[in-house]
Amino acid sequence: MKGVGELTILVPVDISEAEPPALDVLDGLGAVEVVILGYFPVPDQAEPALLRDQYGSTAADRLDALAAEYGASDGVLVFTHDREATIDRIADEYGCNAVLTGGRATAANRVLVPLRGDVNLDRILGVVADLLLAGHETATLFHSVAEDADSSHGELLLMGAVDRLVEYGVDRDRVDWRLTEGGDPQADIVELGAEYDIVVLGETEPSLREQIMGDVLSGIVDALEVPALVVRDVE
Amino acid sequence: MSGEGGELERTLGFVEAMTLGGGTMIGAGIFILPGIAAESAGPASSISYAIAGFVALLAALSLSELATGMPIAGGSYHYVNRALGGLFGAVVGWGMWTGLMFASAFYMIGFGQYLVEPIPFLDGRAFIVGLGLVGLVLLLGVNYYGTEESSAFQNVTIGTETAIILVFVAVGVFYIDPGNLEPFAPFGPRGVVATTGIVFISFLGFEIIATVAGEIKNPSRIIPLSMILSVVLVTILYVLVMLVSTGVVPFESLGDSPIPVSDVAVVYLGSAGVVAIVFAAIIAAISSSNSSILAASRVIYAMGRDGVVTDWFNASHPRFYTPHRAIAATGGITAILILVGLEVETIIALLAEAASFSFLVAYSLVHVSLVVFRRADPDDYDPSFALPRPLYPAVPVLGVVSSLVVVSQMASVVVVIGSAIVGFGVLWYATYTRGRVVSEGLLREAIRGPPAEPFRVVVPVANPATQRGLLRLAAASAHANEERGTPELVAVNVTPVEHPSALQNVEADRADHQRDLLKNAHDIATEMDVTLRTKAVVAPDVGEAILDVIREEAADEVILGWDGTLDRDGYVFGETVDPVVEQARCDVSVVDLRSETIGEPVALVAPGPNAPVVAHQAVEFATVDGTVPTLLNVQSPGGGPDSDAEERGRAVVADAAGAAGLEPGEYDVEVVVDDDVGQAVVEAARRYDTVCVGLSGRSEGARTPFGTVTERTVSDVTGNVALIRGSNAS
Repeated sequence: MKGVGELTILVPVDISEAEPPALDVLDGLGAVEVVILGYFPVPDQAEPALLRDQYGSTAADRLDALAAEYGASDGVLVFTHDREATIDRIADEYGCNAVLTGGRATAANRVLVPLRGDVNLDRILGVVADLLLAGHETATLFHSVAEDADSSHGELLLMGAVDRLVEYGVDRDRVDWRLTEGGDPQADIVELGAEYDIVVLGETEPSLREQIMGDVLSGIVDALEVPALVVRDVE
Repeated sequence: MSGEGGELERTLGFVEAMTLGGGTMIGAGIFILPGIAAESAGPASSISYAIAGFVALLAALSLSELATGMPIAGGSYHYVNRALGGLFGAVVGWGMWTGLMFASAFYMIGFGQYLVEPIPFLDGRAFIVGLGLVGLVLLLGVNYYGTEESSAFQNVTIGTETAIILVFVAVGVFYIDPGNLEPFAPFGPRGVVATTGIVFISFLGFEIIATVAGEIKNPSRIIPLSMILSVVLVTILYVLVMLVSTGVVPFESLGDSPIPVSDVAVVYLGSAGVVAIVFAAIIAAISSSNSSILAASRVIYAMGRDGVVTDWFNASHPRFYTPHRAIAATGGITAILILVGLEVETIIALLAEAASFSFLVAYSLVHVSLVVFRRADPDDYDPSFALPRPLYPAVPVLGVVSSLVVVSQMASVVVVIGSAIVGFGVLWYATYTRGRVVSEGLLREAIRGPPAEPFRVVVPVANPATQRGLLRLAAASAHANEERGTPELVAVNVTPVEHPSALQNVEADRADHQRDLLKNAHDIATEMDVTLRTKAVVAPDVGEAILDVIREEAADEVILGWDGTLDRDGYVFGETVDPVVEQARCDVSVVDLRSETIGEPVALVAPGPNAPVVAHQAVEFATVDGTVPTLLNVQSPGGGPDSDAEERGRAVVADAAGAAGLEPGEYDVEVVVDDDVGQAVVEAARRYDTVCVGLSGRSEGARTPFGTVTERTVSDVTGNVALIRGSNAS
């Protein structure tokens, strides 16, 4: 059984920076489709067209160079007031299943996959399977069990997930799992992430608490030193 | 790969547009001006707010159409520049920019007043001006360095200030002392109108939605909706605030207060109310001023883009990407305006009125621009929100008139300042813009009117004997439809050949015949004073070729000649005419010309889809000889008395004439009551020179069925016969 489907990764890059970030991690990911989004952040005070008039051609050149260097299948240049809105729109338009954000890494040999529970599980595992089938990485599935919860439930979750990846055609040797008990899942992920090259995270609808207190996901992404591949929560 | 220099993200949705529009509007205008308004109009100042709101609504309606037609940055300036050319563009552009600076200075002085007044020992003009300057500098700093994604913060602050005002109104309604509202208008209607000019500034802000049109998602829906809704809601809010203010505190003492709303709130909400109102007033002043700076940079950008001012302003900051020069220039002049407050005691009313003046002038030109766009109808103007009749032309006309009425009642010093700004715009155009950019505007096209759609009648000609008669009928038809378009005839002659090819020459004499026919058609048309084009076609199938021409020319009507014989060789009219009658998507008349005179036509009117077309065609044909046509209906007596049948017949005729849009004087009515309907029709029809009969709309296979009445008419009448099929009956 082959992978789940076409994996297309959206890579947003702040194209207003003269030195675009190194995207070496893309080379390590193997044969996945990559769409580079060169976004140009426009402050509220400026009309987006003003910055396009001034920087349009420079930004286009930068993006073209970047896309050529990493063999991206598409490059999109957008002048925007709102980076998040643009990422969402472009990911929809180009059918991207995951968005690569944050951190730096030169290789992509070890993948950490924190699993929260059943939320978004199918989509995350689909992306991980495609990722492993396209390249040569090994993956660690990770789950953190709350202090008062039954750890066997977490074990079941992880073992089931491994089985699913094997069903997709991934060699069992390339997947292992880790379970921790108690502690703060968020801190665990950040700490553990340092040992890996890339972390695959599932995007979830922010809960009310998250909307007020700040998104847990963006907290993790910001704290991670390695790149995060955020699996989009869309049909 | 990356497209034409990149896409522009449209990030503003409905909520953002509403908070932007509403947040800019709800500002110092409602917290400061109630005092001044009450002083000059008494309790009737609520009417001033209502009038100002109405004037703003008219502008919002016209702007909505223009903004959906051209959703790019610039707002009023851009539309006026496009429509009326560089001179008016410069006037409105400079007017808007200075207006926004006046407004910004006004907000910041209001900000100072609200901060200083609640703390009595800090009283003093210098302090107010100083605080205003500090506020301005902070705002400029923020804007110079640039902000991003602050909409959530904006929503919270504007939501809070609106909630405070709502509480103020909702509670205040119960504390209104009717005695305070008497007399309602102590300074008469003049005072009310004059106050309108001052408070109009409270409505600046809805336009910012048009100014940022290029950044709004789904502009065709959100622009009109948010602009109109925000003006309406804010107007209601202002009127209520004014009613509560003058109802709770006598207008005389309200007029003395620089912070009237807080003075009203203390009456029934106590010191907590004062704190809340001061808080709301401060954030309102900041958000309004901020939006004005934001809007000003858009206007300057648009002016620079069009070459009306130097592009130097538009260079963005190399690190912050803000239009820092535009912001600095706007801020610098705003600071000077605030400083004027040290010397001029009535600065707040003056700034308010000067800003109102600039925008009232701009909006009256916007209304004119809307009319210009509608009349010139340029290809790239296709608004998804178009004012329906009778809003157009009522809105632009009322808009110009009401703006001018308000301006006419303004203080003379303001009129002088405003006129000076207009004069500066004119001077600027003459010395800077002209010679650099040629933007003519659409005025000339608008005066000429849009390229008129022709009303086109296609006439296939083949027989020299009948072509004059056919062209006369066609010319009459085209002229009679002048209100639908400029009359134009297209004479077609088709020379049939088996296999047309460029290499094969049509036999010389057939080509000559075609040329003669069409030249003759030209001569006839010249005599009849109608535009005629000719088409010479060589094709294997005459009927198909005529249908092609009808389609290409988007014909409104086709008039075909025919020899008066029906049902021959398996065709109804003939090999050529049948396909045209069956397939043409316009009105079709098949005419047998039996006499030279068209004379007095009669239309046989029976209920059915063709009746109005037949009636109208009779009216058209009647114009050939200047007669009045008769609409004829025949009824069988049925059970009742003859008068009932007569009534029925008249009703049928009236229905058809009504559907055809005919006036009662344009036709005579004849109703015949007879047992033998067919015989009666023929007998009645024989008395006329030309008979118009409808063809049944139902088409069965290749056959166009016609009733026995039609058949008998065709065979028995001596006059001309026209069989008519309406375009909607096909």
